[in-house]
Amino acid sequence: MQIDRSVEKDVVVTSVNGRLDSSSSHKLDEYLAVIPPDSRALLLDFAGLTYISSAGLRVVLKATKLARAGGISLAVCGLSPQVHEVFDVSGFSTLIPIHPDRAAALTALA
Amino acid sequence: MIAEIEIRLSNQLSEMDRLFEELEAFLDKTEVPPRPRFNLNLAVDEFVSNAINHGYPDGRAGEIAIHAVHRGDRLDVTLSDDSDAFDPLDAPEPDIDASIEDRRIGGLGVHLVRKLADAFSYRHEGGRNVLFLTLKFATPAT
Repeated sequence: MQIDRSVEKDVVVTSVNGRLDSSSSHKLDEYLAVIPPDSRALLLDFAGLTYISSAGLRVVLKATKLARAGGISLAVCGLSPQVHEVFDVSGFSTLIPIHPDRAAALTALA
Repeated sequence: MIAEIEIRLSNQLSEMDRLFEELEAFLDKTEVPPRPRFNLNLAVDEFVSNAINHGYPDGRAGEIAIHAVHRGDRLDVTLSDDSDAFDPLDAPEPDIDASIEDRRIGGLGVHLVRKLADAFSYRHEGGRNVLFLTLKFATPAT
Protein backbone atom coordinates (compact mmCIF):
# COMPACT_ATOMS: atom_id res chain seq x y z
CA MET A 1 0.00 0.00 0.00
CA GLN A 2 1.44 3.34 -1.02
CA ILE A 3 0.60 6.74 0.43
CA ASP A 4 1.43 10.05 -1.27
CA ARG A 5 0.73 13.47 0.11
CA SER A 6 0.48 16.87 -1.52
CA VAL A 7 -0.98 20.24 -0.70
CA GLU A 8 -3.25 22.03 -3.17
CA LYS A 9 -4.64 25.43 -2.14
CA ASP A 10 -4.27 24.63 1.57
CA VAL A 11 -6.06 21.31 1.09
CA VAL A 12 -3.92 18.41 2.26
CA VAL A 13 -4.45 15.63 -0.29
CA THR A 14 -3.51 12.13 0.83
CA SER A 15 -3.59 9.53 -1.97
CA VAL A 16 -3.87 5.91 -1.00
CA ASN A 17 -2.98 3.23 -3.53
CA GLY A 18 -3.43 -0.49 -3.04
CA ARG A 19 -5.20 -2.32 -0.22
CA LEU A 20 -6.27 -0.77 3.07
CA ASP A 21 -6.60 -3.75 5.42
CA SER A 22 -5.55 -4.71 8.95
CA SER A 23 -1.87 -4.95 8.04
CA SER A 24 -1.62 -1.68 6.08
CA SER A 25 -4.12 0.59 7.79
CA HIS A 26 -1.83 1.50 10.71
CA LYS A 27 0.45 3.23 8.17
CA LEU A 28 -2.38 5.50 7.04
CA ASP A 29 -3.38 6.00 10.67
CA GLU A 30 0.10 7.42 11.37
CA TYR A 31 -0.16 9.81 8.42
CA LEU A 32 -3.55 11.08 9.50
CA ALA A 33 -2.81 11.28 13.22
CA VAL A 34 -1.61 14.86 12.97
CA ILE A 35 -3.28 17.55 10.88
CA PRO A 36 -0.62 19.84 9.37
CA PRO A 37 -0.97 23.41 10.69
CA ASP A 38 -2.70 25.94 8.40
CA SER A 39 -4.62 23.17 6.63
CA ARG A 40 -8.00 24.29 5.44
CA ALA A 41 -9.31 20.85 4.58
CA LEU A 42 -8.27 17.22 4.21
CA LEU A 43 -8.93 15.14 1.11
CA LEU A 44 -8.43 11.38 0.93
CA ASP A 45 -7.97 10.46 -2.72
CA PHE A 46 -8.97 6.81 -3.08
CA ALA A 47 -8.72 6.57 -6.87
CA GLY A 48 -5.98 3.96 -6.51
CA LEU A 49 -7.60 2.11 -3.61
CA THR A 50 -8.46 -1.43 -4.66
CA TYR A 51 -9.76 -2.77 -1.34
CA ILE A 52 -10.86 -1.57 2.08
CA SER A 53 -11.86 -3.56 5.16
CA SER A 54 -13.34 -2.49 8.49
CA ALA A 55 -9.78 -1.79 9.70
CA GLY A 56 -9.45 0.80 6.94
CA LEU A 57 -12.85 2.28 7.72
CA ARG A 58 -11.82 2.69 11.35
CA VAL A 59 -8.81 4.77 10.30
CA VAL A 60 -11.01 6.94 8.06
CA LEU A 61 -13.54 7.45 10.86
CA LYS A 62 -10.82 8.34 13.33
CA ALA A 63 -9.41 10.92 10.91
CA THR A 64 -12.89 12.32 10.33
CA LYS A 65 -13.46 12.74 14.07
CA LEU A 66 -10.06 14.42 14.45
CA ALA A 67 -10.75 16.82 11.57
CA ARG A 68 -14.17 17.62 12.96
CA ALA A 69 -12.72 18.33 16.40
CA GLY A 70 -10.25 20.72 14.75
CA GLY A 71 -12.95 22.51 12.76
CA ILE A 72 -11.59 21.21 9.44
CA SER A 73 -13.49 19.56 6.57
CA LEU A 74 -12.60 16.05 5.44
CA ALA A 75 -13.78 14.54 2.17
CA VAL A 76 -12.96 11.53 0.01
CA CYS A 77 -12.84 11.12 -3.76
CA GLY A 78 -12.31 8.51 -6.45
CA LEU A 79 -14.12 5.60 -4.83
CA SER A 80 -14.45 2.45 -6.93
CA PRO A 81 -17.97 0.92 -7.03
CA GLN A 82 -17.04 -1.72 -4.43
CA VAL A 83 -15.42 0.77 -2.06
CA HIS A 84 -18.41 3.10 -2.51
CA GLU A 85 -20.75 0.26 -1.58
CA VAL A 86 -18.74 -0.38 1.61
CA PHE A 87 -19.10 3.31 2.48
CA ASP A 88 -22.87 3.09 1.84
CA VAL A 89 -23.43 -0.11 3.86
CA SER A 90 -21.42 1.18 6.80
CA GLY A 91 -23.29 4.50 6.84
CA PHE A 92 -20.13 6.44 6.07
CA SER A 93 -21.67 7.97 2.92
CA THR A 94 -23.89 10.14 5.09
CA LEU A 95 -21.01 11.19 7.36
CA ILE A 96 -18.27 11.95 4.85
CA PRO A 97 -18.68 13.90 1.59
CA ILE A 98 -17.81 11.75 -1.43
CA HIS A 99 -16.68 13.30 -4.72
CA PRO A 100 -16.13 11.51 -8.02
CA ASP A 101 -12.58 12.78 -8.50
CA ARG A 102 -9.93 15.09 -7.10
CA ALA A 103 -10.89 18.07 -9.30
CA ALA A 104 -14.51 17.92 -8.20
CA ALA A 105 -13.44 17.52 -4.57
CA LEU A 106 -11.08 20.52 -4.65
CA THR A 107 -13.79 22.65 -6.23
CA ALA A 108 -16.24 21.64 -3.51
CA LEU A 109 -13.68 22.28 -0.75
CA ALA A 110 -12.68 25.71 -2.10
CA MET B 1 -17.81 -25.02 -14.47
CA ILE B 2 -17.64 -26.20 -10.88
CA ALA B 3 -14.45 -25.16 -9.16
CA GLU B 4 -13.67 -25.05 -5.48
CA ILE B 5 -10.91 -24.25 -3.06
CA GLU B 6 -10.20 -25.24 0.50
CA ILE B 7 -7.57 -23.40 2.53
CA ARG B 8 -6.64 -24.29 6.09
CA LEU B 9 -4.50 -22.04 8.25
CA SER B 10 -3.38 -21.81 11.83
CA ASN B 11 -4.51 -18.86 13.93
CA GLN B 12 -1.44 -16.72 13.23
CA LEU B 13 -1.51 -13.33 11.50
CA SER B 14 1.59 -14.40 9.56
CA GLU B 15 -0.59 -16.97 7.75
CA MET B 16 -2.75 -14.30 6.16
CA ASP B 17 -0.40 -13.50 3.27
CA ARG B 18 -0.48 -17.11 2.09
CA LEU B 19 -4.24 -17.23 2.55
CA PHE B 20 -4.81 -14.25 0.26
CA GLU B 21 -2.27 -15.44 -2.33
CA GLU B 22 -4.11 -18.75 -2.67
CA LEU B 23 -7.50 -17.05 -2.70
CA GLU B 24 -6.43 -14.55 -5.39
CA ALA B 25 -5.02 -17.35 -7.54
CA PHE B 26 -8.36 -19.18 -7.33
CA LEU B 27 -10.30 -15.99 -8.15
CA ASP B 28 -8.04 -15.27 -11.16
CA LYS B 29 -8.37 -18.80 -12.46
CA THR B 30 -12.15 -18.96 -12.10
CA GLU B 31 -12.72 -15.38 -13.37
CA VAL B 32 -15.07 -14.27 -10.59
CA PRO B 33 -16.52 -10.79 -11.34
CA PRO B 34 -15.30 -7.73 -9.35
CA ARG B 35 -18.13 -7.37 -6.84
CA PRO B 36 -18.26 -10.95 -5.47
CA ARG B 37 -14.47 -11.03 -5.69
CA PHE B 38 -14.17 -7.96 -3.46
CA ASN B 39 -16.85 -9.28 -1.07
CA LEU B 40 -15.16 -12.69 -0.76
CA ASN B 41 -11.89 -10.98 0.13
CA LEU B 42 -13.73 -8.86 2.69
CA ALA B 43 -15.64 -11.79 4.26
CA VAL B 44 -12.49 -13.88 4.56
CA ASP B 45 -10.46 -10.93 5.87
CA GLU B 46 -13.03 -9.98 8.53
CA PHE B 47 -13.70 -13.58 9.63
CA VAL B 48 -10.07 -14.64 9.85
CA SER B 49 -8.89 -11.38 11.49
CA ASN B 50 -11.64 -11.60 14.12
CA ALA B 51 -10.84 -15.25 14.83
CA ILE B 52 -7.11 -14.64 15.18
CA ASN B 53 -7.36 -11.39 17.16
CA HIS B 54 -10.27 -12.21 19.45
CA GLY B 55 -11.13 -15.90 19.21
CA TYR B 56 -8.40 -17.56 21.23
CA PRO B 57 -7.94 -15.47 24.41
CA ASP B 58 -6.12 -18.35 26.11
CA GLY B 59 -3.48 -18.26 23.37
CA ARG B 60 -4.05 -21.85 22.20
CA ALA B 61 -3.20 -23.01 18.71
CA GLY B 62 -6.22 -23.20 16.44
CA GLU B 63 -7.31 -23.97 12.92
CA ILE B 64 -9.31 -21.81 10.55
CA ALA B 65 -10.74 -23.12 7.29
CA ILE B 66 -12.01 -21.39 4.17
CA HIS B 67 -14.02 -23.32 1.60
CA ALA B 68 -15.38 -21.65 -1.53
CA VAL B 69 -17.34 -23.26 -4.37
CA HIS B 70 -17.93 -21.50 -7.69
CA ARG B 71 -21.38 -22.52 -8.90
CA GLY B 72 -21.50 -20.57 -12.15
CA ASP B 73 -23.68 -17.70 -10.94
CA ARG B 74 -22.46 -17.43 -7.35
CA LEU B 75 -19.88 -18.41 -4.77
CA ASP B 76 -20.95 -20.59 -1.85
CA VAL B 77 -18.53 -19.97 0.99
CA THR B 78 -18.01 -21.76 4.30
CA LEU B 79 -15.79 -20.10 6.90
CA SER B 80 -15.05 -22.09 10.04
CA ASP B 81 -12.76 -22.09 13.04
CA ASP B 82 -12.27 -23.74 16.42
CA SER B 83 -12.12 -20.43 18.33
CA ASP B 84 -14.38 -19.62 21.29
CA ALA B 85 -18.02 -19.82 20.25
CA PHE B 86 -19.08 -16.61 18.58
CA ASP B 87 -22.36 -16.15 16.75
CA PRO B 88 -21.95 -13.10 14.53
CA LEU B 89 -25.71 -12.67 14.53
CA ASP B 90 -25.43 -11.91 18.26
CA ALA B 91 -22.91 -9.13 17.70
CA PRO B 92 -24.41 -5.67 18.30
CA GLU B 93 -24.98 -3.74 15.10
CA PRO B 94 -23.15 -0.45 14.79
CA ASP B 95 -25.45 2.57 14.72
CA ILE B 96 -25.03 3.59 11.11
CA ASP B 97 -27.23 6.63 11.59
CA ALA B 98 -25.16 8.10 14.42
CA SER B 99 -23.39 11.43 13.98
CA ILE B 100 -19.63 11.59 13.52
CA GLU B 101 -19.10 12.33 17.19
CA ASP B 102 -21.29 9.41 18.29
CA ARG B 103 -20.06 6.76 15.85
CA ARG B 104 -18.08 4.15 17.70
CA ILE B 105 -14.89 2.91 16.12
CA GLY B 106 -15.73 -0.81 16.40
CA GLY B 107 -18.36 -3.27 15.23
CA LEU B 108 -18.15 -2.77 11.50
CA GLY B 109 -16.60 -5.98 10.20
CA VAL B 110 -19.47 -8.37 10.91
CA HIS B 111 -22.03 -5.76 9.84
CA LEU B 112 -20.36 -5.31 6.44
CA VAL B 113 -20.22 -9.03 5.71
CA ARG B 114 -23.84 -9.58 6.76
CA LYS B 115 -25.07 -6.77 4.55
CA LEU B 116 -22.93 -7.55 1.50
CA ALA B 117 -23.62 -11.29 1.42
CA ASP B 118 -26.75 -12.50 -0.34
CA ALA B 119 -27.25 -15.24 2.25
CA PHE B 120 -25.59 -15.50 5.66
CA SER B 121 -26.10 -18.16 8.33
CA TYR B 122 -24.22 -19.49 11.33
CA ARG B 123 -24.04 -22.83 13.11
CA HIS B 124 -21.90 -24.06 15.96
CA GLU B 125 -21.12 -27.72 15.38
CA GLY B 126 -18.37 -30.17 16.18
CA GLY B 127 -16.70 -27.55 18.38
CA ARG B 128 -16.43 -25.14 15.45
CA ASN B 129 -18.01 -21.86 14.49
CA VAL B 130 -19.32 -22.37 10.95
CA LEU B 131 -20.46 -19.47 8.82
CA PHE B 132 -22.14 -19.99 5.44
CA LEU B 133 -22.42 -17.20 2.90
CA THR B 134 -23.54 -16.85 -0.67
CA LEU B 135 -22.11 -14.18 -2.96
CA LYS B 136 -24.16 -13.83 -6.13
CA PHE B 137 -22.68 -12.67 -9.41
CA ALA B 138 -25.69 -10.66 -10.64
CA THR B 139 -25.78 -6.89 -10.04
CA PRO B 140 -28.03 -6.09 -7.06
CA ALA B 141 -31.26 -4.24 -7.70
CA THR B 142 -31.04 -0.70 -6.30
